[in-house]
Amino acid sequence: MESQWLSLLDVSIDFDQSHLFFPRIVTWILVILLAMIVITRYRLLVPGLKRAGRVLAGREGEFDHKRFFGTLALTTAYFYLMSVLSDVFPNTGYSFLIMSVVFVFLLSLLYVEHLTRRLFVILVLNALIAPALAWYVLAQLFRITLP
Amino acid sequence: MDILSHLTPMFFGLIAAGTLIGIIFGAIPGMTATMAVAVCLPLTYAFGLENGIALLLGLYVGGISGGMVPAVLINIPGTPSSITTTFDGYPMAKRGEGERALKIGIVASVFGGLFSAAVLFFFAPVLADFAIKFSYVEKFLIILLALTVIASLCSNMLMGVFSGVLGVWLSLIGTYSITEGGNGETRLMFDFMEYYLIDGFSLLPVLIGIFGLTTVLLDAEKGFKDETGQGPISLKGGAKFKFNVFKGQLLNLVRSSSIGTFVGILPGVGGSAASVLAYSQEKNFSRDSSQMGKGAPQGIVSSESSNNALTGGALVPLLSLGIPGDSTTAILIGAFTLQGIQVGPLFIGNNINTWYLMIIALLAANVLMFGIMYFAIRHIAKVIEVPKYILYPLIIMMCVVGAYAINYGIMFDVWTLLIFGIFGWVAHKIGLETVPLIIGFILGKSAEVYFVKSIESYGNLSIFFTKSPIAMFLWVLIAISLAFAIYLRLRNRRQPTVES
Repeated sequence: MESQWLSLLDVSIDFDQSHLFFPRIVTWILVILLAMIVITRYRLLVPGLKRAGRVLAGREGEFDHKRFFGTLALTTAYFYLMSVLSDVFPNTGYSFLIMSVVFVFLLSLLYVEHLTRRLFVILVLNALIAPALAWYVLAQLFRITLP
Repeated sequence: MDILSHLTPMFFGLIAAGTLIGIIFGAIPGMTATMAVAVCLPLTYAFGLENGIALLLGLYVGGISGGMVPAVLINIPGTPSSITTTFDGYPMAKRGEGERALKIGIVASVFGGLFSAAVLFFFAPVLADFAIKFSYVEKFLIILLALTVIASLCSNMLMGVFSGVLGVWLSLIGTYSITEGGNGETRLMFDFMEYYLIDGFSLLPVLIGIFGLTTVLLDAEKGFKDETGQGPISLKGGAKFKFNVFKGQLLNLVRSSSIGTFVGILPGVGGSAASVLAYSQEKNFSRDSSQMGKGAPQGIVSSESSNNALTGGALVPLLSLGIPGDSTTAILIGAFTLQGIQVGPLFIGNNINTWYLMIIALLAANVLMFGIMYFAIRHIAKVIEVPKYILYPLIIMMCVVGAYAINYGIMFDVWTLLIFGIFGWVAHKIGLETVPLIIGFILGKSAEVYFVKSIESYGNLSIFFTKSPIAMFLWVLIAISLAFAIYLRLRNRRQPTVES
């Protein structure tokens, strides 16, 4: 009798499909948990999504669109151009160095609230020195692979 | 003798450098010990395992300790674990005792750090010896227990469990590795993704994205406004620090350090939980807690000793079971993997020299942290004023180095950093819990291997309950952690009613 009950728990895994066995279980658990979250929080969900939309559109709340989307745009451009330039200077780290100088300067400029001439010079020096130092220490001294 | 050959000036110099950089990161609000370790990880690529670990442990200890500086001087915890330091540190600073408050915190921190290093030294090998006997079934249950404990201690248990499972799901993307007994097929992706995701997402770009880029995005969204509305309190003048302030504080020190170490051992429970727990215990059990919250040294002692005790505690499950105790030790797993070392029950036995060197590095990091902070606190306090428009672009630059170099030059790893940086921001917005997600991600693949191998070996699901007394005991622990979470939830629901 006991062995009959236990046989209900018998599981065999087909080797050809074994790569999907555990992911399927995890996906189902994830779907069930998501359903539970939606059911228990549905009253908060729609107003929350609407509010998020209003905040992102700039109609409500404090959200610095310029700095947030500026960071995303500059970071994406930094990665993309670094990847393009690394085909021109393969395995030298020059692509990292050149793009980092530009990126550090532009991002600092984006973040500064009140730009003065003195601050501008500081930002330029920071953008030139820091990436150059990082490139020299990492790529030249430590021989770390850079783009 | 082999150990002595590693104790070079370079070894101690890296610990000191790591500690100093960690303190600086910790002292800047919004930047954490985890971020310090993530950003500086590329530097370890050039060093061997021992020197790399020395640097990282210095960063870890320094990062946790540095958090007290803004907590005392501007009422903002530099790291989440310093939250309770603000309760008494800031009132002390306001009445001109800022330096005294910081030095009390420094001494308490070094006590907590050394206490937890001792616990790590004696407890981790015992736990590892015990864990060596585990079969696949028990190993799977340990991972299940870790995820249950993490999720049950989250502010929202359902979101915590969801985050942990999502982390596991993300880790399964890629090939079912033949070396792990799999069939070499890919899953959870479209065909066009195979080129990039054949090995799944690399751990370190994911971590660097979530802990580095996400922080920058969260601050960018706020527009880098000065949260205090005022500058830091000056340390000049005021009451002097004397060691006799610790008279009668031994019990507080030991209790808070024990709490910090214990919380550190629990996987995924952050330093803020340790310090809040230690602070509340001191408030409940001390003879006179009437001044706590108004600038009492005992509050700083409990907060700082507990959060530094977390460091050694969090390394216990990492080195004995291969399960990270917190987000920073999750990155340390990456550093070990990078050097070809797998942490787990066999780590200490197979790498005895590395183990001893880690203990020495942890002790040295605490002592050096004390030396640096105690004698240079006035200079360190100025770090708070370093503008983020200088720091954050450099942090993203260093994140790129870390992500790109991890697999010796894969550009997709840099894109992974961006993907998970944005994902971390979205997760923060919708209430997903980052720590369970990360630990789920780290343990997901192992969970799959242990689960599938257990079933392949025994062919019946009942084996997870009947394999051994240890398996049954682990189920009891899982049930207790779930029951505790439900109890906490019910108590929190009732509390507002009682108070009202």
